[in-house]
Amino acid sequence: MIRMLLRVLGHQYAGPVRRTVALMMATAIVEGLSYALLVPVLRALFGGDVAGARPWLAAFAAGVAIYAALRYVSDLSGFRAGTTLLRGTYRRLGDHLARLPIGWYAPARVGEVSLLAGRGVQQAMSVIAHLLSPYVSAAVTPLAIVAVMLAFDWRMGLAALLAAPLVAAIQLWTGRATAAADAERHRRDQDATARVIEYLQAQPVLRAGGRTAERFGLLDDALDELRRSSRRTMVSALPGILGLSLTVQAVLTALLVLGTYLALGGAIGPAELLAILVLAARCADPLLSLGEIGGQARGARAELAKLDTVLRTPPLPEPPDPVRPERHDLELDAVSFRHGDRLVLDGLSLAVPEGRRLAVVGPSGAGKSTLLQLLARFHDVDAGAVRIGGVDVRDVDTQDLMSRFAIVFQDVYLFDGTIEDNVRLGRPGATESEVRAAASAARLDEVIARLPDGWATPVGEGGALLSGGERQRVSIARALLKDAPVVLLDEVTSALDPVNEAAVHAGIERLMAGRTVVMVAHRLSTIRHADRIAFLDGGRIVEAGTHDELLRLGGRYAAYWEISMTPAD
Amino acid sequence: MADTRPGAALAEVAPPVERPGDLAGLLRPHAGSFAALVVLQVIGAVAGLAPLLAVVELGRVLLAPGPADPGRVWLVVLAGVAGLLVQLLFTAASSAIGHLLDGRVQLAFRRRLAAHLGRVPIGWFSRRRTGELAKVVGEDVSAVHPFIAHTPAELVSAFVVPLVSLVYLFTVDWRLTLITLIPVLVAVATVPLMMTAARQREQREFDAAMGRIAGSVVEFVQGIAVVKAFGGADRTHRRFVTATDEFAGTFLRWARGLAPIAAAMQTALSPPFVLLVVLAGGTALIAGGGLAPADLLPFLLLGLGLTAPVAALGHGFDAMRAAWRAVGRIRDVLAVEPLPEPARPAEPRGHRVELRGVRFGYDAEREVLRGIDLTLEPGTVTAIVGPSGSGKSTLVQLLPRFFDPTHGSITLGGVDLRELGGDRLYRTVSFVFQDIRLLRASVTDNIALAVPGAHPDQVERAARLAGVHDRVLRLPRGYDTVLDEEARLSRGEAQRIAIARALLADTPVLVLDEATAFADPQTEQAVRHALATLRAGRTIVVIAHRMETIADADTVVMLDDGSVIERGTPAELLRRNGRFAAFWRSQRGDEAR
Repeated sequence: MIRMLLRVLGHQYAGPVRRTVALMMATAIVEGLSYALLVPVLRALFGGDVAGARPWLAAFAAGVAIYAALRYVSDLSGFRAGTTLLRGTYRRLGDHLARLPIGWYAPARVGEVSLLAGRGVQQAMSVIAHLLSPYVSAAVTPLAIVAVMLAFDWRMGLAALLAAPLVAAIQLWTGRATAAADAERHRRDQDATARVIEYLQAQPVLRAGGRTAERFGLLDDALDELRRSSRRTMVSALPGILGLSLTVQAVLTALLVLGTYLALGGAIGPAELLAILVLAARCADPLLSLGEIGGQARGARAELAKLDTVLRTPPLPEPPDPVRPERHDLELDAVSFRHGDRLVLDGLSLAVPEGRRLAVVGPSGAGKSTLLQLLARFHDVDAGAVRIGGVDVRDVDTQDLMSRFAIVFQDVYLFDGTIEDNVRLGRPGATESEVRAAASAARLDEVIARLPDGWATPVGEGGALLSGGERQRVSIARALLKDAPVVLLDEVTSALDPVNEAAVHAGIERLMAGRTVVMVAHRLSTIRHADRIAFLDGGRIVEAGTHDELLRLGGRYAAYWEISMTPAD
Repeated sequence: MADTRPGAALAEVAPPVERPGDLAGLLRPHAGSFAALVVLQVIGAVAGLAPLLAVVELGRVLLAPGPADPGRVWLVVLAGVAGLLVQLLFTAASSAIGHLLDGRVQLAFRRRLAAHLGRVPIGWFSRRRTGELAKVVGEDVSAVHPFIAHTPAELVSAFVVPLVSLVYLFTVDWRLTLITLIPVLVAVATVPLMMTAARQREQREFDAAMGRIAGSVVEFVQGIAVVKAFGGADRTHRRFVTATDEFAGTFLRWARGLAPIAAAMQTALSPPFVLLVVLAGGTALIAGGGLAPADLLPFLLLGLGLTAPVAALGHGFDAMRAAWRAVGRIRDVLAVEPLPEPARPAEPRGHRVELRGVRFGYDAEREVLRGIDLTLEPGTVTAIVGPSGSGKSTLVQLLPRFFDPTHGSITLGGVDLRELGGDRLYRTVSFVFQDIRLLRASVTDNIALAVPGAHPDQVERAARLAGVHDRVLRLPRGYDTVLDEEARLSRGEAQRIAIARALLADTPVLVLDEATAFADPQTEQAVRHALATLRAGRTIVVIAHRMETIADADTVVMLDDGSVIERGTPAELLRRNGRFAAFWRSQRGDEAR
């Protein structure tokens, strides 16, 4: 666990943590050893020699003072290490996230990672910060005490030492046994959460089907499954916790019985015995707390493991000597791309001359959106090359590459800020009049005029307070403001009604003017004016040409056109 | 053999017996188990004192002048061992009961929340983040775990055991008892130092900085695709790094201010210090002759336990406070008024839908619908058109009662929707809206959602009509394929499943948003088929996206800014030469180009 922690932290942040652990161990050892002074104090007191007890008592007081000082220093060091932990983890996570390919951020990922980064890191780090000191002290202090016991009476010390391997073995075994149950419980947790989200989002349909909570078996099953798996977790942890208590108490019992036997036989003085029993009692509490600490640490470990996985995802490689493309023609050269074990693009080649428009058509799952994403290097290709102005996109600096693309997607992400913030994202340095011009070109001005606070109207989480058409206009205004030489459009108008579509179309036309354009569209009427149309299926181009050429060809595109033109019967 | 009937996976489970009420009502059935848990815990914890007392007795016997009586010594040892055993058994039993009870209570809470969320107005959801609600049902309910499974044990060991010890120690020697309490007093004395204005300000700064970090990281991650695409990754990344550094500074300030006080408190409560105080006090008392040396033992063994309540006050209650906050959020959700159901549901006569003077706004300041009068005749198709933000979506969402109008009424067959039972309403009105939500269940279950008993042939027929049958056959297990798990569908395909769902439900009133009709040509065709097939005898309202739909509609209603500005047959409206005609010509012109 500590090893994983240090790996997540990276080398530069590991030092303070190691130092803190060392200080904590020193504190625990001093505490344990200071108890050694109790024996002579008690021997003197129980023997009725008060004067003889005083120097030892003074020595014990000095020991306590050293302990307190060490503890203060190690606490401070712990605080500092805690800060380092948090800052270090966030820094590493932030740097890493910024370098991961955009394609890695699937919608489900985004939710998972923001949860991990937001709460997961804080939880993992604060648990570690809070548990480290009790854990070190619970493990080390009893050992130091046992050493003291050995020094005073080897038989009693040996009996106490017996507990050490047993406790260690039980800790190890419990860790393994509960890890499996924890993993299962975590899975069930996620399953139940997914079902709850599904249940909430599907409320309209579920109610239409008369499925209230009691009758939506899928959710209820998941909730019940959750309870059962949490019971299993408990059952699997129980032997460990019981075993730990049993061991600790058995050793206490053994010490009590052995000590009594020795004392009755005169082999050990009553004062020594009592002092040793006081010490033994001092061991019990920390050892018993080990079980609880272990349980809490396991929770943190799960978060750490997730963090570790993210940090180990390879980032998009940056070119050592970036090349600046001079032109903006696009080319896919024998490109193959896999997603998981599915071949999405299969040796696909196509070219778009600068300033021309290519429309990509085809059935669902043909690889159309992937093609757009590869152009902007959301992913790297598995074979072949993607070039802009004749330069492989992998040889272009990411920032430079991105500055050449204006992308308008079907699902528009808006920040939880104002409309203006969202438009300005296109070019943060734009002047007031440039922003206004982009907005009116995208016909966003009529939307803004209607909103209560105009430009300062907040758009809500992901733009939820705007309608689909309104969001789309924001994203077009953003793209217009960016004024990039290459425009990528992904099914921009597919979810719009005619009134909005007319408005969005006007904006899109302005956006496309004089630029290199690649658009994915299903509405054939919107693509017939493209310079060239590529019909994609199964990751390959099956037909390519102008609208009229493809109709004359009488192939797949013509059939598509046919379906969308025939009236319903 | 798996049950392949449609709806088998969604099969009914017995409704929970609890009636609507507060959380206390949910806890009442478990009061008995809870009491047993507490009693077992108290017995176990107090029995845990037995071995310590045995050592004390052993000391008294062994330190007494003269030879010890072995019989008495072994009896004392036996009592101590018995105490250990009782402690082990009783605390284990208590803990087991606690965890089992915890599981049951959590399940009851979750069921209760789910049932309640199934009754609140659907519109309420659109104002909430689904993730936050899911968190209430998931995490917040889990947060009650310490309350039931751990808090009783913690409270008993923090208060009952020290109290018993204290009483015992007083009977041994009241002066040394008071001395033993000195560390506790020192620790308590440091508490006000932690509550000074400066400390509290630092605490607030600390909390705020922690919140800023979480906020900036979420923003950073959620917008990263867009931000990277627009080349702004550096800025949000910097903001994130700044938040982290700022936090580190605040944290260190907070720690430096608090560390000396916390260290003083921790040291006062630490076992070495307590032992030192007891020994010093004991030595003085023994020297004065006021205390038998053997009587020092109980203080060395039990004295440490007296600090437990203060230690618990220090940090042990963080989990409890968090649990309280979680319970507060659960109560907030349960406090949302469910959509009122009529006591005596009325029966509609026919399927004419009438809207009279309907006004609606999501909040008081901004009215979205401003007095809509509209009659939807059975057997007709009404197309709704209008610019973005004109209130089209809101209008159609009032029909399945996602919201109730703020003024005016909507009637179905002469009966106000509010007088109609929920069941009746949903058996009469079906809808296909923009955001299609498929369930993680088989294709059959998804299509047969509203008709759980449907015959597989009927399901297939609906799928054929919706143009998705061939696609389903290409899925790994055909109609039994579990969507989202074994296969994913495109938007267009999901849309066609939703259409099949509406076709199978076969309700007399259909509300349709053509929004994703253009996902692909097949879906467009499916929508056309559905409209043509369903037309006879039904009341259909459609937010039209295709010019053909508008042309074929019996009535076109043009909305602007929440009011009907034009209505009539397409031909009439074209003749009138108003807003609709202008819009129509712009579209046609566009297409002919």
